[in-house]
Amino acid sequence: MKMKKALPPIIRIAKYTLIDEVRQKSFIIMFVICAIFIFLVRGCYQGNYTVNGQFLDAATVVRAVSKVTFHVIGAGVMLMTALLSMRVFRRDRDDGMQSCILSKPIARWQYVTGKIIGMWALSVLFMFILHSIVFLITSINLQVVMPEYLIASMLCSLNLLFVVIAVLLLSLLMPDIVAFLCVMGIGVAGLVADGISALSQSQMAQAMLQQPGAHPTSDLTVWKSIYYLWPKLSGAQQSASSLISSEAFHGFGPIYPLINILLYCLILGALLFRRFGKEDIV
Amino acid sequence: MIELNNTTKRYDSLTAVDNVSFSIRKGEYFALLGPNGAGKTTIVKMLLGFTRPTSGSLSLNGLPSTQADCRTAVGYLSENLHIPPYLSGWQYLQRCAELLEISRSDAMDQCRRIVELIGMQGREYTKVNTYSKGMIQRFGLGAALIGNPKLLILDEPTAGLDPIGIREIRQLLESLRHQGMTIFLNSHLLSEVEKICDTAAIINRGKLLVKDKISAIVKDGEALEDVFVMLVKG
Repeated sequence: MKMKKALPPIIRIAKYTLIDEVRQKSFIIMFVICAIFIFLVRGCYQGNYTVNGQFLDAATVVRAVSKVTFHVIGAGVMLMTALLSMRVFRRDRDDGMQSCILSKPIARWQYVTGKIIGMWALSVLFMFILHSIVFLITSINLQVVMPEYLIASMLCSLNLLFVVIAVLLLSLLMPDIVAFLCVMGIGVAGLVADGISALSQSQMAQAMLQQPGAHPTSDLTVWKSIYYLWPKLSGAQQSASSLISSEAFHGFGPIYPLINILLYCLILGALLFRRFGKEDIV
Repeated sequence: MIELNNTTKRYDSLTAVDNVSFSIRKGEYFALLGPNGAGKTTIVKMLLGFTRPTSGSLSLNGLPSTQADCRTAVGYLSENLHIPPYLSGWQYLQRCAELLEISRSDAMDQCRRIVELIGMQGREYTKVNTYSKGMIQRFGLGAALIGNPKLLILDEPTAGLDPIGIREIRQLLESLRHQGMTIFLNSHLLSEVEKICDTAAIINRGKLLVKDKISAIVKDGEALEDVFVMLVKG
């Protein structure tokens, strides 16, 4: 009963967040840039590709190009989400909406939940539209139907939730731009670590590690633990994209990165609610 | 309706509100007076749960100010009111009505009535970025009146208004008296307060100096301004 009463304000705040963000010039510019990119990618599907002197069949090309596009869209929308999220609280404060909402019988947790849902819904919708354009291009023009592409897109939305919550939390603790850079830094560090991890599994790297005088095992264990616990943004995206190419997933298994991000969302979400509860409303 | 019990608010070494206690009964027209930086707005913010007291407690409608439900049937107009510039006055009023879960048809009726009440007919559909400070203030007061609140908390409601606007707001507040509304008014305009309110409290440097009926604070032949200056300057 209590939850039923709490829902309408959350939905309204989410709706206002979505509407207000779409009005921003920065959002419109980013949307146009992304749409242009998608239409430019169309050309990549029409080329003839050879690997080791052998022509690749159309389906392989479509899947490979779609996978690259999938990653580029995912990363681009994450960047856009972080850019939009970093000013959500500040904009609401400056526009007087924060004090307007919180002077009504609406609790702070409802306000924050509404903001998170609004930003998340906007970015998921944005990413889904872009992925759907690729899906339609491959389905209609190239006759390669990949329903798993859209499922992968939905899985990737977990990353966007992480970005929204992390940027909102950090924007309460530090300047907006620093909050944005920190979250992007987390993503880039994860990507680099994934690269190093993939390299370390190569035969050459294994041979180097077994040489006398190589790094002690304890050092490696610390780094491995950090790598294991680090937010797996690129890992989650990779595990989602593994659906597209039906490739075996290397690393921790396809589920771990998603669970890792989900846990981070819960922990950072709890911290965000706690921090905003202590915030002075101007 | 409103109660402050030994309320103190400190910001690091600065004591903004120092052990203040008073209560306001239902239907009372109350003015909180004090020079700039006396702690008036801090008290309002604590009442609305915007900031927490360092010690002591505050209650609204019998509920602690930390609970969201205490703000049911409370209208608020802030001192430096801002309205999103991309909205029109009408859209702002509609949003406020939606947040109070007023049905669409009721919201339309109320907004129409309020636009008339604040004298903004003909300008309600233009964007807020074309409004003057006084017009924004009128819409802010209108937004505070949505949902027929039982308690109005007004922080400098006449700021930015011209003399005619001030008079209109005063008349509007006087007309609300017949509806049994309680008003908590923060204002610098002592002459206006004298005309509208029945009780007043004067605070200085966070300390409550006096809280009584205006007729008891102001002696024969004196003006509220004289008493205010005398109390504040010691």
